[in-house]
Amino acid sequence: MKNFIVLAVLVLGFQFAFAQKSLLALDENNKYIYYQVVDRPGVSADSLGKQALGFVNSFFGNKKEKTGNDTSIKVRSYFETYSALAFAKHESGRITFVLSIEIRNNKYRYWLSDFVFTPYERDRYGMFVPVVGKDMVLEQAAKRLDKKELEGYMDQTGAYCQEIGARLKSYMMIDHHLKNKANVEQPKKVVTKNW
Amino acid sequence: MPVDTGKVGTSDDPKDPPLILFGSVDTYWKDDFSGKANIPTSFGNEQNSVSIGFVDLGIKKKVGKAAFVGELSFGPRSDQSIPTSGYHIQNLYVSYDVTDKFNLSAGYMSTFVGYEVISPAANFNYSTSYLFTNGPFQNAGFKATYAFSDKVSLMAGVFNNYWNTYTSFVTHGANTTSGDVSTFGAQLTVTPAKGWTAYINLATGPYSGTELDLTTAYQITDAFKLGLNAADFSAPNGGGGFSGVALYPQLAVSKVVTFGLRGEYFTYKNGGGNVTAFTFSSNIKAGAITLIPEIRLDTKSAAFPTTFVDSNGASTNSATQFLIAAVYAF
Repeated sequence: MKNFIVLAVLVLGFQFAFAQKSLLALDENNKYIYYQVVDRPGVSADSLGKQALGFVNSFFGNKKEKTGNDTSIKVRSYFETYSALAFAKHESGRITFVLSIEIRNNKYRYWLSDFVFTPYERDRYGMFVPVVGKDMVLEQAAKRLDKKELEGYMDQTGAYCQEIGARLKSYMMIDHHLKNKANVEQPKKVVTKNW
Repeated sequence: MPVDTGKVGTSDDPKDPPLILFGSVDTYWKDDFSGKANIPTSFGNEQNSVSIGFVDLGIKKKVGKAAFVGELSFGPRSDQSIPTSGYHIQNLYVSYDVTDKFNLSAGYMSTFVGYEVISPAANFNYSTSYLFTNGPFQNAGFKATYAFSDKVSLMAGVFNNYWNTYTSFVTHGANTTSGDVSTFGAQLTVTPAKGWTAYINLATGPYSGTELDLTTAYQITDAFKLGLNAADFSAPNGGGGFSGVALYPQLAVSKVVTFGLRGEYFTYKNGGGNVTAFTFSSNIKAGAITLIPEIRLDTKSAAFPTTFVDSNGASTNSATQFLIAAVYAF
């Protein structure tokens, strides 16, 4: 039984790691991309567009550059990576990306691409900060990063894309305009004269 | 400066970074060609000995807008870089992001002045410059940093009356039982071009003196980086001082090997003599370990207040040493 559990953990761990990497595909320009199309039957483009804008503002806050209109949104932002080699977890770099969302009646699609890795270095204050002038597009990072290190960043990129996708889909399932009107939370009231 | 958390999440569902553990350990072997340790700059001083630097252990955490950093060190490098034995503190401060552009920090922090730092994991050369050795290591105080844009920011703060002290000092003969927080510090950070950052630093106080410092680095190509440090220090009450300049060209020749030269000219004021030092180092990465083989040649004037000796023990004006260090950073 013990051996079976160990084997199961190893197999699942391998599958999870493999799954993160396989989430990224190459587009027609040989650039890494995470691409999804989502059907929303019966929902208008106008409504989906408002929801997508709401998601972008809510999820990325000030950490974004946004362009586009209600039916085509592009956001440039970043997430931080953590060291894949060292045993102690700390920030090792950041990956900037572009999230694109396109809206149509009854469906929308989104993709993350233009991944650029910027390594971090430790500064005198114990902070990990971007190394100035060392940006590298993810497709060419193999020239400058250790293979295992790059694999770690690819895994983290896949996992991040999956997380953004899940949050976007979850957000787009709810009409937040109606929700905000209907669900203005009131504190629970108790009438103490009643037992 | 404002600390970038890389936060991912909404205001309703914040994701703060985890508790971060970081640090390094380092060890080295050095041989001065005279057979005697000559070069007096900080750290890595022991002759023909497999010696240790320090164990450096830091933790940090940020929750919302508030953060702290605590960094402890143990070993000879620590003993030479902290003011009070037994304290083992390299950094201990708290900070708060008032806005995305405005940050307040207070505590005991590595100095904002200079190019080189105490941790070998954050330096290219293992041996250190005369500018570093003679400048401040740490300043305890309170500072505010405002980012005007992603290209310009300004830090200003007040610090204890002396450098490298956990507490302010009572000066000899002062009619008080407490020290004071009388050193003013400021740092203007500018990014003139992509890959180029420059810091103009000022630390001035009636007890600690005045140091004006320029520290800049420019990643000119993917492989070539050029750094520069220039500083002038005037001790209080006309007590002399120093000035100097150091140039740091570095060339990456592969993913794991970078070569670098430090060329430094340093002079003490009031006829205290000068020294010129050339340090040729390589950084060879092997995972988390960096090997640093290094050869260094220092040539001084007769008035420079350090005695170099040759292999016969006779006074000389030059010293050459070879050093190899291993630094594990995590």
